[in-house]
Amino acid sequence: MKKILNEPAAYVDEMLEGLVAAHPEFYARPHPRVIARPGGAVKDKVGIVTGGGSGHLPVFTGYVGPGLLDACAIGDVFSSASAEQIADAMKAADGGAGVLRLYGNYGGDVMNFDMAGETLEVEEDFESTSVVLTDDVASGPPEEAAKRRGVAGMVYAFKMAGAAADRGGDLAAVTATAQKAADACRSLGIALTPCTIPQSGKPTFEIDDADMEMGMGIHGEPGIWRAKLKKADEIADEIWERLQADRPINKGDRVSVLVNSLGATPPEELYILYRRFAKHLADCGASVVMPLVGRYAASMEMAGATLTVCQLDAELEELLKAPASCAFWQVS
Amino acid sequence: MSGGLDRAALVAGAKAVAARMEACGDEINEADAKLGDGDLGVTMTRGMGAIVAEADALPADVGMALLACSKCFTRISGSSFGTLVATGLMAMAKACKGREEVPWAEASALLAAACEAMRKRGKAELGAKTVLDSLAAMAAAMEGKDAPGELAAAARDAAGAALEEFRGRQNKLGRARMYGEKSKGLDDPGMLVALRVAEGLAPPADG
Repeated sequence: MKKILNEPAAYVDEMLEGLVAAHPEFYARPHPRVIARPGGAVKDKVGIVTGGGSGHLPVFTGYVGPGLLDACAIGDVFSSASAEQIADAMKAADGGAGVLRLYGNYGGDVMNFDMAGETLEVEEDFESTSVVLTDDVASGPPEEAAKRRGVAGMVYAFKMAGAAADRGGDLAAVTATAQKAADACRSLGIALTPCTIPQSGKPTFEIDDADMEMGMGIHGEPGIWRAKLKKADEIADEIWERLQADRPINKGDRVSVLVNSLGATPPEELYILYRRFAKHLADCGASVVMPLVGRYAASMEMAGATLTVCQLDAELEELLKAPASCAFWQVS
Repeated sequence: MSGGLDRAALVAGAKAVAARMEACGDEINEADAKLGDGDLGVTMTRGMGAIVAEADALPADVGMALLACSKCFTRISGSSFGTLVATGLMAMAKACKGREEVPWAEASALLAAACEAMRKRGKAELGAKTVLDSLAAMAAAMEGKDAPGELAAAARDAAGAALEEFRGRQNKLGRARMYGEKSKGLDDPGMLVALRVAEGLAPPADG
């Protein structure tokens, strides 16, 4: 293992200390494993809470900020936060209008978010809802779409739900909008290399130097196929075809596209993918709104990328373009 | 048999189970290492340790006391098994809320309620070789009994029989499922926990 760290066991806590020290205008740390907005909960606004394992920055913690999330519970690298940490994050986000739990569909996270919601309900009559993000088409067939995992598409859901809460919607309205945003996203990724979890010191999977894997999950979950690395255009073509087969984009549609680095893949290569992907969108007569290219949802130092398409209606487009800011992303 | 589960009985039971977890933690870790992370003994030892540390502060309302026990398991870990234990304790807490003594005759129904809540939270079915299969067998064996010693012995024997019965089968849920055929012949670590917990309340003749 070759990583810049002190002790593996201190990796997450020291990362959070640095994050808060660097960006105090965006992040406060009311509990050791909770990041929230520095001014506290916004009164009378629906609070939006996420959480999950570390190792994915800017996901999840980074997206706490105005127009985005209110608080985040942080687990160890690739491990769920505990139900207590999630409950603490929910309390930190509670401005009196209820809290939406918005997070990726992973077994441990689902259990702990549900448990946190139930605990607060029993103890304090605390009102909360949840929307689970399931944009990764490689992780299940369309008829089992609800079982799919959440990957980079969650960034759109954070953005749109955050904007919906900002404009003053009540908990039911913000929850419905978040679900619509989640349903609008489809993602598919490729992996070229594994990453190493500091506390285990071992790569999450093994892959031959010459190979790539189509559809691999962000923690190394098995994908669709593994074979010799293809050219960028062939990769973009296959992802386009698979996403089109899952839910087609048609002439006249308005979409946003996120080409995301899983960690080690540089922006240069993301733009090479985007170039080809944008051609497919133009060829089918769709308009691209606010494309995002960069590192938005990573898997430590994994080399690889995900492509996400978010199909917009008028409401989602307005929410996407609404002002938002965090240390990793500004929309103005 | 009169009497029932009250604060004193809960504290005594928790201390007995905690001691059994201390004694068996390594064994549970080893069983878990063959099918998972290898830290299940740590989760159980730390969770029960947290309950014992709070024992003196537990309220007399059995429901609120069980809620405090549930929160101990959500505090010490984000592990799925810890959250399932917390879920089961929470289900029992809801059923006992507002009472300072819960008749022993309700013990079977309480455990069945815990099992059902855990099944829902884990999105699981019975028969997949998990702790749920042990809990269901234990609740069935406890039905109709209302003496604490008899209840604990019945639960222990049922947990032991379930462990034996499922050992040769394949794990069909959670991380252990990834091991497929290789899981045949191995004890499910969660089912082992169920047996060792019951043994804390009803020490085996040879142990």
